[in-house]
Amino acid sequence: MSRIARHFNPAFVVAAAILILALPHIAANEYELRLITLLLIYAIIALGLNVLVGLTGLVSLGQAGLYAIGAYTAAIFATRLGVGLVPGLILGMALAGAFGVLLAYPTVRVRGVYLAVVTIAFGIIVENVAIEWDSLTGSWVGISNVPAPTLLGLPLDTNAYFIVVGASALIAFLVNLNLMNSRFGRAMRATAQSEIASRSLGINVAAIRTLAFVVSAMAAGAAGVFYVYLNKYISPDIFSFADSVRFLLMVILGGSGTALGPVVGASIMTYLPEYLQAFGPWQSFAYGLLLLAVMFILPRGIVGSIEVLVSSRMAEARPETGHEERPRLADIVAVNPADGSACLDARGVSVAFGGLVAVDKVDETVDSGKIHALIGPNGAGKSTFLNAISGVYRADSGSITFLGQETTRLNSHQLARLGLARTFQNTELFSEMTVLENVLVAFHKEYRSNFFSTICRLPSFQRDERHFRQAAMALLAYVGLSAYAHEKAENLAFGHQRQLEIARALALSPRLLLLDEPAAGLTHTEIENLIALVRDLAASGITILIVEHHVELIMEISDHVTVLDYGELIASGSASEVQTDPKVIEAYFGSQTFGDGPAPAAGIESGEG
Amino acid sequence: MSAALQYFLAGLGIGGIYALVAIGFHIMWSSAKAVNFAHGDTLMLGAVLTIVFLDHGIAMPLAILLSIGVAIVFGVLLERVAIRPFADHAASIGWMLTTIAIGIMLESYATIEFGAFARPLPSPGVDKPIIIFGAGVFIQELLIPFVAVLIVVLLGLFQRRTQLGRAMRAVAFNRVAAGIVGINVLHVAMFSFALASALGGLAGILVAPVIQASATMGLLLGIKGFAVAIIGGITSAPGVVIAGLLYGIIEKFVDGYISTAAREAVGFSLVIVVLMLFPQGLFGRRELVKV
Repeated sequence: MSRIARHFNPAFVVAAAILILALPHIAANEYELRLITLLLIYAIIALGLNVLVGLTGLVSLGQAGLYAIGAYTAAIFATRLGVGLVPGLILGMALAGAFGVLLAYPTVRVRGVYLAVVTIAFGIIVENVAIEWDSLTGSWVGISNVPAPTLLGLPLDTNAYFIVVGASALIAFLVNLNLMNSRFGRAMRATAQSEIASRSLGINVAAIRTLAFVVSAMAAGAAGVFYVYLNKYISPDIFSFADSVRFLLMVILGGSGTALGPVVGASIMTYLPEYLQAFGPWQSFAYGLLLLAVMFILPRGIVGSIEVLVSSRMAEARPETGHEERPRLADIVAVNPADGSACLDARGVSVAFGGLVAVDKVDETVDSGKIHALIGPNGAGKSTFLNAISGVYRADSGSITFLGQETTRLNSHQLARLGLARTFQNTELFSEMTVLENVLVAFHKEYRSNFFSTICRLPSFQRDERHFRQAAMALLAYVGLSAYAHEKAENLAFGHQRQLEIARALALSPRLLLLDEPAAGLTHTEIENLIALVRDLAASGITILIVEHHVELIMEISDHVTVLDYGELIASGSASEVQTDPKVIEAYFGSQTFGDGPAPAAGIESGEG
Repeated sequence: MSAALQYFLAGLGIGGIYALVAIGFHIMWSSAKAVNFAHGDTLMLGAVLTIVFLDHGIAMPLAILLSIGVAIVFGVLLERVAIRPFADHAASIGWMLTTIAIGIMLESYATIEFGAFARPLPSPGVDKPIIIFGAGVFIQELLIPFVAVLIVVLLGLFQRRTQLGRAMRAVAFNRVAAGIVGINVLHVAMFSFALASALGGLAGILVAPVIQASATMGLLLGIKGFAVAIIGGITSAPGVVIAGLLYGIIEKFVDGYISTAAREAVGFSLVIVVLMLFPQGLFGRRELVKV
């Protein structure tokens, strides 16, 4: 998160409020005040779009459609029923928000460029419905004679209306800012950076995306309502594809994902046409050229690029990594003492990709409180099995029971909430977020404060935030990463990244922790630390299922070893039992006969690792 | 009956254009996992330049070749300037904005030089309509879908039989792996954009006699072509052609039986519905997440 954004405070809000109150008196004339009002309206739409594009990583090229829905709703109600500003706003925002939900629905299944097409299509549909639905929208002629805005029955003059729009823009700014620095904003950024990891941490990705769409749609709707009362006239050509591009451009130009960027972008895009008029017929050519130049010179946008500069200047000296005492896990997160019952039970689980059966009717039970290892040659189906029980893949047949509950058909975020946590073979960290934020994302579901109290910064939010920050710091101390709490995750050394993934998983208070090749790429010392960590986890009552190629590690820590080969379970027992199992030796070495060579058991121990 | 046939044949004509545009998007996407959002303006370039060259007394065949040549240069430059630096990772959206920016510039320049009005491109294909069971249709309109299908067949042969074509398929399948086995991924991308732009220019020249050429003709054709590519499944060339033809036909029927504005609303609603039901498009390949 931007360092600048964190330092906004009440003084800033007061200063902004005074500026808004003073502007009608400073503005040179009516025209200039109108332009600033327009700027603020664009700022509202851009701030909303920032939540979608900057935080959630979803591109909308149909924002003009939502803007139009707000505008037409207000215009129709105002001209036909004489509805005032506030009810108009509520109706416009509600309807736009409802369309936001509708637009979010496809994101469950499509994203990236596919989603861009859905939003483009949406914008064009709205534009054409506005043209076609003559009786309601006046077709090409549009709706004119919009009455002057009234607030609670009192008519607003130009100055008063400006102040209302200004206050709304300030609210939009604060909503955007508070959202960014909250569990919702973190969850949004997490889903943008790694969907699969977000799910594994119990985040309902569809719900978070819907939230982002609704916030951005309501902002666009509100902006549309304000526009109607400013312009007193609307027609379909105000809401074209080019306008959607312009709104997106405001966000990118200012700096997507930053607090001030959308406002800066909206300002530039409002004043730009004034200056571009000097280019006469070359106006739109100059606009295109400018857009291209900005993308080249400031790919992170104006505010984004400044933040990068400032934060590299401000980069604090890294604190020394002192030797920390490992805190007790039970003091940080809830742990349930193991009772020896079955933690996870798989019956006849099969997963196939096309014709390839990666996991073939595997039966296995993982007892609670145990360190259970899953080994096998490359391509044996270990990771697939792990993905099936953690809900990343769905088993084609068979059943999986977790803590006595049938979970075969559950998604990974549902499993995570039941207490099934995991790490990934190729680490899936939220690389653009800090180490601390990575852990905080995993606490998302633990927060008691709701969206409203989060946005308004109510005490319940403050309490939650303080509590979970402490817990996250304690978890970092537990894995030995406190010194790096404010470092970006992508800057961590590889071994530290693996530790962070474990800390993040622990935030779920897991009953079962799946470790997918946690030792891969680690140095000797790091593996020693890992062994100590895994033992401590098991001693705290967390059941561990570990997939690993490092056989020495497996033999040293496992209570139980399961061996897969070509998707089939070929051996299951204690470490020493499977070590001498002829089927296992054959799977690893291709032959049972070793002649005078080293003993098979010794061979398997040094052969892998 | 003759009205329905009329709509069907006219739909094939415009659908063939969507198909040609969509093949271009397919080729670009396969090589770069990014496309030229200003591809519609490549059509405009082909159509408008042909008229400009004809104005200068250049013979039709040469004018067409020259226009396609310019379209190719445009595509190659665009890939180099606006795509390559902005599509370095999967989540990049920079290329959307840079290519839109270039589209805005091109359209604006064309408006200044060519004028803000539409002009017909003369073609023997639109001299007089031929009558089939009471439905009047221009030969040009029948030719377009034929060309689209021919091109997808030729593209398939090219991608199977030639070294360069096989390299294109390899890059589409996995850029990194293709690079590791020694394929020059950047050359393949350059060639792909050249090919896509040539097809775009050709599509513009083919459609201009039917819908007239103007500086702004590209925007909607480009958007629809892209939507068609996505619903057809952008990884499948035959898929996008089928989707293009279908889209054109549906559009003409809505146009004929309801209205022109309803045409866009119904068409784009269909796009959304298809994507909800088939997230990878009708004929697209499903990508599996591996962790």
